[in-house]
Amino acid sequence: MQILVNGLIQGLLIAVLALGFMSVYLPTRVFFVGLAGVYTVSPFLAWQVRSAGGPWWLALVLAGLVSIALSLACELLNHRRLDRRGASSGAHLISSLGIFIVVVQVVAMIWGNETKVLRTGIDSIYRMGGVTLTRSQVVGGMVSLVCLLGYYLWLRFSNLGLRFRALADNPVQLALYGYNTDRLRLIAFGISGLLAGISGILMAYDVGFDPHAGLHAVLLAIVAVIVGGRNSFLAPILGGVLLGVLRAEVVWYLSARWQEAATFLLVVVVLFLRPQGLLGSRGRLEADT
Amino acid sequence: MNYALHLLIYFNLYAILALSLNLVVGYCGLLTLAHAGYYALGAYTYALLAQVAGLGFVPAAIGGMVVPAVLSLAVSLPAWRFKGDFFVMISLAVQAFLFSVLYNWFNAGAPVGSWSNLTNGPFGISGIPRPTILGYQFNTIGSMAALSLGLLALSSLVFWRLKGSPWGRLLKAMRDDELAARGLGKNTRLAKVQAFAIACAFAGLAGVIYASYVSYIDPSSASLDESILMLSMLLVGGAGNFRGPLVGAAVLLAIPEILRFAAIPDAVAANLRLLIYGLLLVVMMHARPQGLAGEYRVR
Repeated sequence: MQILVNGLIQGLLIAVLALGFMSVYLPTRVFFVGLAGVYTVSPFLAWQVRSAGGPWWLALVLAGLVSIALSLACELLNHRRLDRRGASSGAHLISSLGIFIVVVQVVAMIWGNETKVLRTGIDSIYRMGGVTLTRSQVVGGMVSLVCLLGYYLWLRFSNLGLRFRALADNPVQLALYGYNTDRLRLIAFGISGLLAGISGILMAYDVGFDPHAGLHAVLLAIVAVIVGGRNSFLAPILGGVLLGVLRAEVVWYLSARWQEAATFLLVVVVLFLRPQGLLGSRGRLEADT
Repeated sequence: MNYALHLLIYFNLYAILALSLNLVVGYCGLLTLAHAGYYALGAYTYALLAQVAGLGFVPAAIGGMVVPAVLSLAVSLPAWRFKGDFFVMISLAVQAFLFSVLYNWFNAGAPVGSWSNLTNGPFGISGIPRPTILGYQFNTIGSMAALSLGLLALSSLVFWRLKGSPWGRLLKAMRDDELAARGLGKNTRLAKVQAFAIACAFAGLAGVIYASYVSYIDPSSASLDESILMLSMLLVGGAGNFRGPLVGAAVLLAIPEILRFAAIPDAVAANLRLLIYGLLLVVMMHARPQGLAGEYRVR
């Protein structure tokens, strides 16, 4: 039970990042690896504010704003320009990877390569039934749940959410109907950056952070997307939770060193048994990417 | 003089890597980030065969090519179902997997190379013997440079021949339109498996050169930074033809040497080097997507 809950909370954190990735991927078809850079930057900013004696709210607001700004900058300076020239998705991916490398190296040059921790002192503990939780786990789980739920309600019931889904469905037609798709794309990147920033801070609050953790986290998020299914906003949440539980169980039954192997094995099994993902539906052959 | 020879060895090594990566990226159109994993796999196999099993250079080097070729199935089988961005991420997962295996197969009590401590974990394997062929030992830097140049010539010949062969044309056809190639009755799945096996075997050969020249190998050779370096070489130089990878290897190897002479402090030199690689990738995608000397634009 304890392990299941640990895995569940870990999975929710992965799901937040996966949702951030998905909210760019589905509407714009940009494979936004630069998200890993956003994920890396936000805890460092929060840490900087905290160590300069600033209050928590300032740290969080600043980290959130910078995450959004960085993500928007990626769109304005890179992806939009590439898109205008009809660049291929590979060009988007590689330039995004390049942005990620630049961001990580700048962070490492400013703040150094070593691991830092965001919280001070020892975590307090809560006991509920037979389960023991640390405070960072409770906070992480709660915040992720709120994010996921809020996102779902926004997507399902608001007018903007409807346009967002339409953009994911058929961007050309939406533009023909006279909607401003450029602005919707910016919103997509902004949401994605915010979710990545939140996820980065929550993870950093729980286990500490260093400049090189970002790509691994995004990789987990993408595994969650592959496992869950690539055509829906909600499938990655299922994939993320499943992945988190699996990784926690592996640590308990085998050893922490085989986590990566188990993740990889999960991808292989899903690929061979259900290549469209658990919730996915099968597209036509030429639409399969 | 030794400095120039040292650079020549590194150029040969990375030229082999870029050429082999070109077979997959430039001819199959499958962007992979797992190449450093196979490079390190070749180096480790050679190290274990030469040091622990005591084999000579030629059989150990062949072993160092066969093992990556067989394990290349880990990336070529997903390539059946996935193209484009998701394939890149799967290759990244393979890369993380290979790295974690090399890094974690460690047991402090057991001797290096035994079953419970095969790779010696983060400490790596040291004292790898220099190559000996037919009784001649390559223990000077000049002879190593000659050997690596010879191996580069050999691999160039192989890739040159493959490029012009019907099989090479099949790869290009598959890259440009896989459905059409399948419609013509070509076995594209088999072609992908073959291409990956050949590319990974030559990546393993580069690993053999590295292990026998430096005589030390640790998991950092399998790190993502190495993969990104190889991919940058190919994309900056240009994929899809023969001269692109060679240009790319030369350019990207020249950058750290220029930084060395520009008297950048050591603390930031490594970061700065990677930063330049990242910037190069972004700029190339905007200004010249086919690379300096290439033909193929990444899709």
